[in-house]
Amino acid sequence: MNNLTQMTRLEVVVPARDAPAIRDLITSAGATGYTSVSGVSGIGHHGQHSGALLFNEYDTLTMLITVLPPNNAGELIDAVQELLSTSSGVMFVSDTYVSRPDYFR
Amino acid sequence: MNLILRAQVATAAHDIVPSWPMESFIAVNPLAGHEPRPFETAAAPGVVLARSRDAYLADADRGRIVDTDLEAALAERVPELAGQLTIGGKSVSAVSVAILDMRITPWTSPVAAAPTAPWLDEYLAIWVSSYLNPDPLWAMPHKQHGFYQAWRTLARRDPSLPRTVRRTVAELPVEPDAALAWALVKLGVPADAVTETLRSELHHLPGWVGHIKWRAERIGDIDLLSYLGVRLTLRALLGLTRLTAPPGPTQADVTPPALWHRAEHVARSIGGGRADRDDIAAVSRILATHPVPDHALTWQQAYELHYRAALVDGLRDTDPFTPRPQLQLVMCIDPRSEGMRRHVEVLPEVETFGFAGFFGVPVRFSRYKARGAINSLPALLTARHHLTEHPTHSAQAENHTMRGRARDALRRSTHRADSGTVTPFAFAEVSGWLFGAISVLRTLTPTLQARIHRFLTPATATLPSNVTVADAFTLEERAAMAETAVRMMGITQFAPLVVLAGHASESMNNLYQSALDCGACGGNPGAANARASAAIFNAPDVRVLLAARGIDIPSDSFFIAAEHNTVTDAVTLLDQHLIPQSHVDAVHTFNRAQHTAAEILIRERAQDLPGASPHSPSRVQRRAHDWAEVYPELGLAGNAAMVIGPRRMTRGVNLDRRVFLHSYQTELDLDGAALETIMTAPLVVAQWINHQYYFSALNPATLGAGTKTIHNAVGTIGVLAGHTGDLRRGLPWQSVGLGDQLFHEPMRLTVIIQAPLDSIGRIVSRNQVLRNLLDNSWITLTARNDSAAPWHRYTPYGWTAAPTALKGT
Repeated sequence: MNNLTQMTRLEVVVPARDAPAIRDLITSAGATGYTSVSGVSGIGHHGQHSGALLFNEYDTLTMLITVLPPNNAGELIDAVQELLSTSSGVMFVSDTYVSRPDYFR
Repeated sequence: MNLILRAQVATAAHDIVPSWPMESFIAVNPLAGHEPRPFETAAAPGVVLARSRDAYLADADRGRIVDTDLEAALAERVPELAGQLTIGGKSVSAVSVAILDMRITPWTSPVAAAPTAPWLDEYLAIWVSSYLNPDPLWAMPHKQHGFYQAWRTLARRDPSLPRTVRRTVAELPVEPDAALAWALVKLGVPADAVTETLRSELHHLPGWVGHIKWRAERIGDIDLLSYLGVRLTLRALLGLTRLTAPPGPTQADVTPPALWHRAEHVARSIGGGRADRDDIAAVSRILATHPVPDHALTWQQAYELHYRAALVDGLRDTDPFTPRPQLQLVMCIDPRSEGMRRHVEVLPEVETFGFAGFFGVPVRFSRYKARGAINSLPALLTARHHLTEHPTHSAQAENHTMRGRARDALRRSTHRADSGTVTPFAFAEVSGWLFGAISVLRTLTPTLQARIHRFLTPATATLPSNVTVADAFTLEERAAMAETAVRMMGITQFAPLVVLAGHASESMNNLYQSALDCGACGGNPGAANARASAAIFNAPDVRVLLAARGIDIPSDSFFIAAEHNTVTDAVTLLDQHLIPQSHVDAVHTFNRAQHTAAEILIRERAQDLPGASPHSPSRVQRRAHDWAEVYPELGLAGNAAMVIGPRRMTRGVNLDRRVFLHSYQTELDLDGAALETIMTAPLVVAQWINHQYYFSALNPATLGAGTKTIHNAVGTIGVLAGHTGDLRRGLPWQSVGLGDQLFHEPMRLTVIIQAPLDSIGRIVSRNQVLRNLLDNSWITLTARNDSAAPWHRYTPYGWTAAPTALKGT
């Protein structure tokens, strides 16, 4: 596809207080970076979630997005799944394509 | 890296509450990990959720809990208890049968005892303490490689370990992940039991474990993976039995009587000898709906309902402030402000407001040319803006800096002489007489010693300066912060003089000083935030933007910062060099009013303060400088409720300094945004504080820090009771009790809001933190649409009419 390289994209939405553990797993998995979006809103398994709160960053939701080569993603996916088995949060895994693959290896 | 194992460690540590260091003591709910579940399921090893049966019966005897409280509590907890029955020919209600059962059926609380400290815990406490101590006499070698690797390197020479173990340590994996995986295999932990095993291990040394979790997220020099790596490796090497499951809740030491015996006892108490088998069976059907293990929390609920009903009944609705007030005083929502506000409001031209003590200005603050900085903002936020001071007279500032450096050099050389290996002997010979004299002076005349000290070492605070708020925030940000503050407080008109008073506590030799400072400022004094806020409101360019948003601040309104000293009750105006000549008289009026208020308030406080007398207020103020005083003030002891609404609901009502007061006017917040901010930030901070006091009072050995008198500090991290062991959590006994009696009444926070119920309901439904707290009974919410509407109580199923006022004390 237009000289793009296939990668695996993980999006994890968790309470902000659980985000450090996910960040630790992402960096430990060898991901070269991630994007963190704080104060995400929506409706999910536990009901409605307000977005960014003015004076409280602790009780909002954070979305972490990272992209890895497919052969490196398996263990991270398993680890995040393990973490989410007993706490609230969701993970979305999808194929994605990048133009500069060396940024993600 | 073993990612699955890292995930299992994170899962095992999920419910552990991070523990902040002493230097910025943050009150937290020690059981916050249980908030997504009902309050009554939060019992943990060594933790009780309610007081003893004897304590509740004593409250019932003195009228603190009356039958109507118990009826209301039972109606909320056991709604199926309804109707009448006949026992021995007497007609009685099902509720009265249940109440009689509560009074006569014995039960005992599990004992909240401190956990035992096996050798492994003692050993690890020493190593973690040595590794983390920020100011050790001898720094731990190899610290830069992390906790596990430092231990692995040094343990080879640790004589407290058997020689065979020391030899094996050298062969352990280099990385903590690999070491932990090796230990789990060696201990024979099956794959599906790893998380549970790790969770069991983390139940030991909860103080250190909580602090390591905080440190891993904020500093990063240690984490729970490396801690568990050392712990389980040692367990494997020493052949210690592994823990298979976390210890369950401590069991009561007396088995409650069987249902039939309870019913028989109750039936005979009502019907005497005429109660037959059918009567007993009928009673047992009722009592089965309220088993004995539920009695404690029903008593607790009745205890709380009594206070709540009296509080709601005492609320008023005075007329709104129609003439322009001559003076406005904005203070922190902290319950200690309530006393000052009540006494200043004796003057009719004074209007007061409650707002979070960081005044909506979240900053990291450092004094002029000072080392270090404080995060003066709620723990719910991350510091992103740095504020400092700019002196108004550079020559004076330079002189001040030179003197400060000289003092600092002297202090450091004294410390070095005092902490060296040999020098203390010579140092004591040369200067011991001086320090001895100072000690005598400090012991016998603490106030005089403080005056001398202040004269010799003037603080930077005395240097006239301006805070650099215009550098820290853009004009748009400053205008937005001012607008937010005005809308959250519901200020509709501005007085010529508006005082923004932060607060701080002053005490000597008090490791818990930070716990007495402002909770909304991250356990720091609130003066910097008040100064920044006043500077924002006084800026003409900010006022222009505010006017465009419909907030007109008259040109003759001047904002000034102040600091309320909660030990002496003095309210000191700050940045006095900024006071315009036109406002000098108003400032004098304020000073007179606050001085009179302080005199009355300190006498009022002296009635509750252990060892104090209302007849000698100066002795209460002296506690600020007394290094032997373990009760400098009572802090937030007694806190029980939070009122969010206009001050006219509470003006003139003596709330006994027990209520967080946040000003709010629905009319200025049509979209409910300000109310949502109040409910998701100040309310959450108040709840953290409330639960910190609640559990420290009920569990002084496990969730409280025990008595101050045996505390030893580990740098600025925390305290140990004695010379080793676990880091103590929570508040010291002196914050909640005296002798063996509590002076803090442990009650879950009662929140009272005057705002549209629909709006409150929408806010609750879109914020999980509020749903958790309210639906799981960690706090309660009572609200009314407006001053003419009836009160309603929030339940997970909707609003219901609130119980009416109850009789008793």
